[in-house]
Amino acid sequence: MFFARRYQRRHQPSRTLFFCAFALCLFSACGAPKNSNTPAPSRRQITDDSGKQVSLPPQVNRVVSLAPNLTEIVFAVGGSNQLVGRTSYCDFPAEAKAVAEVGDTLHPSLERIIALKPQVVLVSTASQLEGFTRQLQEHDIAVFVTDPHDLDGVFRSIDQIGDILGAAEKAKQLTDALKRRVMILAQKLHVAPPVRVFYQLSAEPLYTAGKDSFVNDLIMFAGGISVTADVPGAWPKYSAEAALATKPEAIILPTGGSMGDSNMEVAEPLKRSPAVLNGRVYKINGDLLVRPGPRAIDGLEELARVLHPERFK
Amino acid sequence: MIKYGDLLAVDGVSLALNPGDVTAIIGPNGAGKSTLLRALNGYLHTSAGTVTLDDQPVERFSRRTIGRHIAIVAQEAELRFPVTVIEFVLGGRYAWATNAAWGWETQNDLQVVEAVLAETELTRLSGRLMNELSGGERQRAVLARALATEAQVLLLDEPTANLDLSHQSSLLSVVRGRCDNQKVAALFVTHDINLAAQFADVVLLMKDGRTVESGRPTDVLRPEVLEQVFGVRVLVDAHPISGAPRVTPVHT
Amino acid sequence: MTGTLSTSSQSTRIGATKYRATLRRTLIACVALTFVLLVAIVATALIGSERLPRTATLCALASLGRSACGLTSDQFDILFQIRLPRILLAAAVGGSLATAGASYQALLRNPLAEPYLLGISNGAAVGTMTALVFFGANEWSRPLLAFAGALVATFAVYRLARGRAGATPERLILAGVIVTTFLSSVIVFVTTMMDVTRIRSFTFWLLGDLSSTSEALLPLSIVIAVAGTVLLTANARSLNLLMLGERDAFDLGVEVGRVRITVFLVASLLVGSSVAASGSVGYVGLVVPHLVRLSLGSDNRLSIPAAAIGGALFVIVADSVARTLIAPRELPVGAITALIGAPLFIYLLRRN
Repeated sequence: MFFARRYQRRHQPSRTLFFCAFALCLFSACGAPKNSNTPAPSRRQITDDSGKQVSLPPQVNRVVSLAPNLTEIVFAVGGSNQLVGRTSYCDFPAEAKAVAEVGDTLHPSLERIIALKPQVVLVSTASQLEGFTRQLQEHDIAVFVTDPHDLDGVFRSIDQIGDILGAAEKAKQLTDALKRRVMILAQKLHVAPPVRVFYQLSAEPLYTAGKDSFVNDLIMFAGGISVTADVPGAWPKYSAEAALATKPEAIILPTGGSMGDSNMEVAEPLKRSPAVLNGRVYKINGDLLVRPGPRAIDGLEELARVLHPERFK
Repeated sequence: MIKYGDLLAVDGVSLALNPGDVTAIIGPNGAGKSTLLRALNGYLHTSAGTVTLDDQPVERFSRRTIGRHIAIVAQEAELRFPVTVIEFVLGGRYAWATNAAWGWETQNDLQVVEAVLAETELTRLSGRLMNELSGGERQRAVLARALATEAQVLLLDEPTANLDLSHQSSLLSVVRGRCDNQKVAALFVTHDINLAAQFADVVLLMKDGRTVESGRPTDVLRPEVLEQVFGVRVLVDAHPISGAPRVTPVHT
Repeated sequence: MTGTLSTSSQSTRIGATKYRATLRRTLIACVALTFVLLVAIVATALIGSERLPRTATLCALASLGRSACGLTSDQFDILFQIRLPRILLAAAVGGSLATAGASYQALLRNPLAEPYLLGISNGAAVGTMTALVFFGANEWSRPLLAFAGALVATFAVYRLARGRAGATPERLILAGVIVTTFLSSVIVFVTTMMDVTRIRSFTFWLLGDLSSTSEALLPLSIVIAVAGTVLLTANARSLNLLMLGERDAFDLGVEVGRVRITVFLVASLLVGSSVAASGSVGYVGLVVPHLVRLSLGSDNRLSIPAAAIGGALFVIVADSVARTLIAPRELPVGAITALIGAPLFIYLLRRN
């Protein structure tokens, strides 16, 4: 008996609250303009790489980048003043370090991003942030997904970001310049026999570049062929026996840059490969080879230079 | 004097076990009977007073030596692994293994165990798993294992707790037989006063960790003493057949 | 020395579990298992992500590497520099973990005691990670700190599990869960402090990875596995009694404290050396001793050496799957042992 009365009494204040909340909802629903179906005429739509239409204001001044390559692209098209947030791995160019951090590429902080009030967040599919992307969208933050898995994708990303930031002109200049460099390279490497390359991401455990990795494309354009180009996945863990059997003519060790001084040694099974015996082991700044951004062309040129030195006399 | 932490469990108990004698310890719960038993083989330490074996303090001997001279029959711990009766009883021969590291049982070990299994009527069950036996049969296996150690001192902690009448009697007759024939000294803790009266030469009555009375059954088992210790009125008469004191509580 | 006691006991024998372990039976079982192990080593040396010609490979193996038997120098390298060392490492790791598991089960009187479930593997992993982060260059720091980590975890589990009534099985499993989860969190914490490139390779290693090609650590792993098994078998008779009750064992003359310390030390060494070499390979210490006990009985003088050989077999087979299923890519061997081990364990539980 006592119980029932207590229960009843507790319900009454919450009932009033419920009514107030309901009334408030009705008010706001009536007052606010419905913008789900009819976009405001001043907003523009851009399609991102996932096929989604992203609605943006005409002038974008606040952008957050969740991938190092996207940060580099933003700076390259002159958008440094419009970038308000970056990941802790976005370390290039040096000016980027002045921008506020929102976490790392694996677990960015939703709170920090919301606090920065961005108009759009740039995401790369390589970061595998599908769940996080949904969270951002639930908080009504526009998300632009890029998916540059080859050289063409890089140019497309530059154009897209230039478009978003209102720097389409600068972006076109940049892509034109980069495409010119690629063409010059193609001429220099004309009918050069492709060099068989092993890309070693880490020695122990042994990881290499697979079919879906970006560096595959670069190696091809640099006049080489990756011996692991047909292995499914982006960064597969590779069997030692298979590595020994590939007998590559050249080995690329991505190191330095954000990788520090790791990966300086060739993995054990490759120690007697033709590449090692002929002294064709090359250490290249890894950031130039795995980030689909403007510096990828630098990486491409370095690759070409080590794979075909005779063409660059 | 034996303590559990700060709790004084046993204080002021002196007893001597002579070869061939069966001693029984009786008393109410919490009297410290099992504690005393556990101190006798060195499992519990005495904070004052000593336990001596053949006039040497028990601490002086290695575990293995103690195992050869003192054996305990207690409530068997829960068996979590499958083990046959014969493997179980052979465990009693551990203390006699000369090469304990990779010790394998000798022919002598097997003979001793065979004899002991016959003595406790377990020969038929020797190949069975211990888990398949009844409570009474398992208790007999525990006794068999203790007998297999060929120890001169046998300590039994409530050995008849789960046994039916016939097995109670046969178990204690086996013990009695050992004492008479091989001059083994036996000490058993029990709740069953009449069993103590029938089988023991010496009875030790304990309460609250102290000895109340000790001596022959007829001397110790007197109504006044028992009433004072147990707080229950009893009637003591002589058993018509055995002549031992027979204690019957009076429930009013 | 005969194995039977009297003819009457024969009629009540049902199944192999009722046989008493004798020296002869133990030697026969171990020799038979060793033979199967050798066959498995040869068979798994024939398979891998690279095709090797069968007869030439068998010939080269039979000659113990002295003759190439027609294999090219690359094939010879693959066989003797990559494949065979990996198979031997798998054997050492499997044997170590199974023996450690069997000993923990006997000592702690718990059929579910296993280095992985008790958190001892995690302790060794934390030790290894510490060695990698602070003493990366020194190879020997890894097994050493792994041993230390395993020892600390053992101590923690043992202390947590001690109640008034001794370590009941429930308390032990609970203590194991606490230690395991705590150490897992430590591992995750340290992993997130690492940079992105290291994280992926470390996660793979944590799940059990036999592809490390350390020249010095392989002989160490083998020596520890063999020495550890011998030391634990030497305490097997004491463990037989301890398995039935600590107090009973004490009464019957077992130096309980000494045996306990020895087993903990040796088992931690075994777990430490396996984890340092190959990460956490789980379920070996659980499934193999169970199978051995079901078929050969609970006498540790037989079941500990048999578990060692059985464990070696189990991990060799699991690793062959791990390195050939999606060749030329690899799976972590711990994933395979879990996939085989977990259903097998459920089946074993239901049978009992």
